[in-house]
Amino acid sequence: MFSDLSTPRDDSSLLCRPTEDLAPVFERASPAYSPCFERFGVGERSFSRQYAHIYAARLMQMRPLLTEKAEQKWGSDVLVRKLCDLQAGEQCCIVGTLFKRMDLQPSILKEISEEHNLLPQPPRVKYISDTDELILEDELQRIKLEGKINRDRCVTGSVIAVYGAERNDGKFTVEDFCTADLPAQSVRPALDSDRFVLLVSGLGLGSSHADSMLGLQLLVDMVTGQLGDQGEQSGAATISRVLMAGNLLSQSTQDKDGSTKAKYLTKKTQAGSVEAIRLLDELLFQLVTSVPVDVMPGQYDPTNYTLPQQPLHRCMFPLSSVYPTLQLASNPYQATVDGVKFLGTSGQNVSDIVRYSSMNSHLEILEETLRLRHLAPTAPDTLGCYPFYMKDPFILEECPHVYFSGNAPTFESKRLTGADGQEILLVTVPTFHSTQTACLVNLRTLECEPISFTAFSAGDDDESEMNISH
Amino acid sequence: MTTKNGLITDSFKVVKKARKVAKRDETLAPPPQNAETSIRQHEEQQKLIQFDLDWRFGPSTGISRLQRWDRAKLHGLNPPEDIRELLLLKQNNQEYKLSLWSQYPL
Repeated sequence: MFSDLSTPRDDSSLLCRPTEDLAPVFERASPAYSPCFERFGVGERSFSRQYAHIYAARLMQMRPLLTEKAEQKWGSDVLVRKLCDLQAGEQCCIVGTLFKRMDLQPSILKEISEEHNLLPQPPRVKYISDTDELILEDELQRIKLEGKINRDRCVTGSVIAVYGAERNDGKFTVEDFCTADLPAQSVRPALDSDRFVLLVSGLGLGSSHADSMLGLQLLVDMVTGQLGDQGEQSGAATISRVLMAGNLLSQSTQDKDGSTKAKYLTKKTQAGSVEAIRLLDELLFQLVTSVPVDVMPGQYDPTNYTLPQQPLHRCMFPLSSVYPTLQLASNPYQATVDGVKFLGTSGQNVSDIVRYSSMNSHLEILEETLRLRHLAPTAPDTLGCYPFYMKDPFILEECPHVYFSGNAPTFESKRLTGADGQEILLVTVPTFHSTQTACLVNLRTLECEPISFTAFSAGDDDESEMNISH
Repeated sequence: MTTKNGLITDSFKVVKKARKVAKRDETLAPPPQNAETSIRQHEEQQKLIQFDLDWRFGPSTGISRLQRWDRAKLHGLNPPEDIRELLLLKQNNQEYKLSLWSQYPL
């Protein structure tokens, strides 16, 4: 692992007199890299369509997969029915899109309905309640679900197959259900040496308190090999790529003063994001001179809000964009580094599921979306999304080797082994400005470890205070 | 009229001309019809309307008929080939291009 490489040795060159001979040069490993961002391009950008198309395309794409899974699970003679052919009391299987009716879900129609004279709905941490109902929809009809299906874990928009029977009162009693599960995976080539990809997210530049700037500079210095002794520098040379997973700018750069205040009052004030982008450009400039960097946009970054977010524009980075090592990527991100397939988002899809289900752990949700074979099931219901009509680009066609999401509260990682021998590393990349933590993925072993740039971790507050007093 | 409003007609000449041309185009657009072609057109329209109303191929608002056909083909739903041929033949005709619901406001 990376930490072994960078532990100081006896023949450390630190704190010595400068020597005459030249310092050794460590060649940085440069892996084969092929981005596949076309999948998340939006093409002609027509917003005149309704979202019915994306749900229809999703069901069209998922139905054959789920029918196959259902036949595997409940025997090949299982009766797969459409809702319109359903007969009461008959045991059968139905493939459809889940819809969770939630009383607390914010609704623009409720807000603008003047006759009710309601107060605006307060923002909540979670929008689930005991009165929620699960409904399964296919192309023509819908039916309420009851029985052995966990209502609070499910989210709107996931396509599943349910097995059971319709009761006389018109509700469907679920005995079992299945998801599309993991897609097939390509073989990962064996590497002969350790190579790392550094994942970092949530830099939060431009916030009023610059508490993460020291950590950030340490991170940059570590990656570019300007920290530590020769052991650490040779370790840094094995970092072959840096991936920034969104929210490079702080939420506070998005002040809405400009749109609410009078023009003459805000005429001379500069948008907060201008300074933050310049800071980011300087930071990237230090990095791209030494290592290839992928930059994904996130929720607070200056690009389109709806998924898939398009790459940030080159003209915002006058210093760093002249280097071919700067790769401005889309969100979701998909690329192959040394044969290892990376897929991930800046975390909007995961944090949206946190709000609309009982699940709290980002890692658990990441696994759940992989099992559903869908990156963002809650788009377009509660998550902004481009109105696609031809196909749903968020359906996983191929199993990634590394599946990540950014801007998580803590670092977590897990190795997942699929039914057909797929091996996936799940990583939740923590927000850097609050945790000062990034993570390193080893391309050879598919292991992942956090790398922290703070002396004071959350666990040992007392200890660190003692250190200061001494 | 022409003597009184000479100035106005002078300044709006171009606009008036353009309008006249557009109107002439509209009147000219439908080709001279005889009974046979109108029956054939009616049949073709009926066929396309049946395609629009087939729920298996998904919603039809907001996209062209050809786009809807291509999507059905992409997802292996076997849309009828003659519909595609007909749509490609009449590519420039708005009546054929858009679905039955295209005139309704969303």
